[in-house]
This record gives sequence, structure tokens and C-alpha cells, in this order.
Amino acid sequence: MMGINYIGIATIVERGIRRTFRVATQTLIAPVVSSALYIFIFGTVIGSRIQSIDGVPYITFVFPGVLMLSIINASFSSASSTLYFMRFARSIEELLIAPFSYLEMMFGLMLESIARALMVSFLVLAVGVLFGAVTLVNPVAFIVYTAAIAGIFALLGILVALWSESFEQLQMLNTFIITPLTYLGGIFYSIEMLPPLAKSITLFNPFFYFADGIRSSMIGVNEGDLFVGTLMIIGVLLILGTAVFFLFKKGWKIRS
Amino acid sequence: MLEIKNLTKKYGKKVAVNDISLSIPKGAFFGLLGPNGAGKSTTIHCITGISQPTSGSIFIDGVDVVKEYKLARTKVGLSPQEFNVDIFGTPRQLVSYMGGYYGIPRAERKKRMDELIGRFDLEDHADVRFQKLSGGLKRRAMLARALIHTPDLLILDEPTAGVDVEQRHDLWKYLQEMNQNGKTIILTSHYLEEIQYLCNDIAIINDGKIVAEGTKEEFMKGGKTVEEAYLEITRKRKAK
Repeated sequence: MMGINYIGIATIVERGIRRTFRVATQTLIAPVVSSALYIFIFGTVIGSRIQSIDGVPYITFVFPGVLMLSIINASFSSASSTLYFMRFARSIEELLIAPFSYLEMMFGLMLESIARALMVSFLVLAVGVLFGAVTLVNPVAFIVYTAAIAGIFALLGILVALWSESFEQLQMLNTFIITPLTYLGGIFYSIEMLPPLAKSITLFNPFFYFADGIRSSMIGVNEGDLFVGTLMIIGVLLILGTAVFFLFKKGWKIRS
Repeated sequence: MLEIKNLTKKYGKKVAVNDISLSIPKGAFFGLLGPNGAGKSTTIHCITGISQPTSGSIFIDGVDVVKEYKLARTKVGLSPQEFNVDIFGTPRQLVSYMGGYYGIPRAERKKRMDELIGRFDLEDHADVRFQKLSGGLKRRAMLARALIHTPDLLILDEPTAGVDVEQRHDLWKYLQEMNQNGKTIILTSHYLEEIQYLCNDIAIINDGKIVAEGTKEEFMKGGKTVEEAYLEITRKRKAK
């Protein structure tokens, strides 16, 4: 019986971080530029004409959502592109022949994406500070929410990378599921602005709780039930984690 | 060192390896021969964990490669036929990451990596992207990667494909040294003079079955070369 391969997991993360810096324009600079544009347009240009929401300026209300968008994109694209490329180049075999359990392999790939998401979120936070959009009422909760949301989208990215047979398929989930649910999850508006039916539907959108959780940790304002949100986040993490674990164990699309 | 018992591997309805059994003792230099698509790489993939056997069992030093796969993986090093690497990485990174995957602490990994980079004459190319290396340098980087965790069993799938004559002879010398120091080596190659020069024991696999197995001397009985013996056996099977 061998112990946990901590060095192996750390090496997967190290490799991911190095790759992130190798293509920094795509992985770090691009999300910072788009976040800066979001903050400028929604926060400064449009926000100056919108009254405060829940007692906070619009720019402050909208910033946690912009940050979540960056975390989701960084984590999902890191996991999906890394694993898909490893399948494509067959470098996944490097992990298959090494002493990794399926769980260790999953954690390694997941932590690699979380690391990228944390780097991006740190940079976006820095931009937010420049625009005066950042408040942080509960830093611990903020880090936990950020890591959990990044973990969810890392797992989702792994699933998509396993399923995809082309670069086009790799983008499908992002285009048709992630982006619409994110934008409809109340990142740019308060759900109190919605008609009653739309508001009720939004309460079934997990992305709403992701944004709400981050928002509560940053500005102390939440629109949904934080307990329900926490359960939702834990539930989604467990479901996706179990799915990835079983697919790795089965060797689906990675082991012949 | 390696025990394969009734190994079968199917891809859908296609049987790639059909109920083969092999026993390779510690310290052997074993040649696994066969035409393209005969089942050599599939067998290797089952030993190393790249493929899952459909049935049968494989033991490395008494360790089951399916039931105790983590421990089994530490005992094998693989230099595969195809370059299964991140082509944007450098030889130094490839070797170092692989050492990390095997759980080797950083300081020890660096020491072994420097030794291997020196041994395979990769110093001038250690920080060049893999995609920019010549075929021979790529092969040497793959070998260094396979050896970083000092495995007991080394599997070399066409390790000299694309390597020039001089480098091939250097490599042969190195492999012989390793074998003399106790390492068990399984070699597949289409260069049968290479098999004849290096291996003590040989098996021929064809259509997923072991069709001949014995010592090199047995194959070369009657003054034949390994190549002549190989052609005789595979042509006889084809005629059937």
C-alpha cells in the first residue's frame, strides 16, 4: 500500500502554473483586460447612471460577478484545454504510467486549474482596486467560495475534455450552458429587478448562488439563501467529483 | 521479474492480444518481435497501465499491475514508440516532471536529471523545446525520462527509430551497461540486428499470439541470423 503521492500532485500543479506563465497573454492578460472593460463599462459608464443596489454603488455590486466570470473562465478553460491537449498529444500517458491513484490524478488536474483561477482572480482584484470597486468583508469566506467555484468549473472542464473529440466540442458547453447561465445568474443585476417568474426561475440556477456567495463575502450583501447556496455548491462539487472519479477509474477516453 | 498469464486485450470485437503468457526473469535482455499490429505495443501498454487488460494477469516482481497498480508503476520505466509528450516542454522539464510524478523529491530529482542529461549527451539541448529537437535527440530525451525513477524493468518500444548509426551504437553500449548492472530490459525493434546484438531471450508475437519463444541461441541454431529465423517463422505463419 503506497501513501498519497503529494509530490506527484504538486508536480502536476507546478507544470500547470508554468504553462499558465508560458501563455500568459492568453491565460492572465486577456481575462484582466476583459474584466477591466466590464468594470469600466458596467461599473463606471453605465453604473454612474444607475442608483445603488441594496445600499451599495452599482460598481461595487457588479464587481463580484465580474470576478466570478473570470474565475469560471480561467478554471474551466485551464482544465478543459490542458486535459484535451494531453489526450490529443497522448501526454496523458505520462500520468497513466506514473504512480497516481485516480483520485490523486483528479485532484492534481483540479488543483492546477484552481491555481490558475486564483492567479487570475488576484489580478482582477487588483484591477478592481484601481477602479475603487473592491470591498472584502469576509476574506476567509471569499477564498473558500473562490476555490470551491474554481473547483466546480475545473471538474466540469475535465468532463468536457474527456467527452470532446474536437476543439469545437470543447467550446460547446461554454457557449451553450456556462455563458448563458452565468449571465442569467444575476451577475450584472439584482434579481429584485426581475419579474416574479424570472426571479423564481433564477433561484434554481446554481450560478446565481455562486455569484451570491462571492458577493456576500465581498460586500456583505446576499440576495439568496446562503445556506441553500452552500449546499448547492457542495452538492455540485460532489456530483461532478464523483463523475470524474468514476470516468478516470473506468479510463474513459484516456486508457485504451 | 515479469509474469504475464493468459493476457487478452480486445478493442471492441478486435482481439489485439490473444491469451498470451510470458515469463521474463530478472536481469534478462528480452527481445519482443513481431510485425506491425501484431500486439507488441498493446502488450506493453497493458504492462505499463496505458491499457486495461480484458482478461488475464500481469505481475511485475510479484506485484499485480491491476490490483496494486500504484506500486507496480514504480517498478517500470517506458520509452514508448510514439512521442507522448508536451511538445512545448524542454527535455529538462519532461524529465523533471516525470520524476515529480514518481514522487521523487526535488533535490534528488535534480541530481538524477543532471546525471541523465549528461549520460545522454543532452546538455546543449536540455532547454530547447521538444518539437525543435532532431529525431535522435527526442529519443534520448524519452530514454532519460524513462530512467528518472531508476526502474527495475525498462521497456523500450522502438528506442532507436530515427536515431543515426553512431548514436545507436552509443545507446546499445549504455543499454548493455544497464543490463549488466542488473536492469531487466524488454526491447522491441524492427532492426533485428539490434535484437541479435543485445538480447539474450526472444519472443515473436503475431496476430496477438506468441508464436515462438526461446533463447537467442535457439533462434540462431543452424547458423541463421535472428532476422532469418524471424522471417522463416512469420512467413510460415502467413502461408498457413
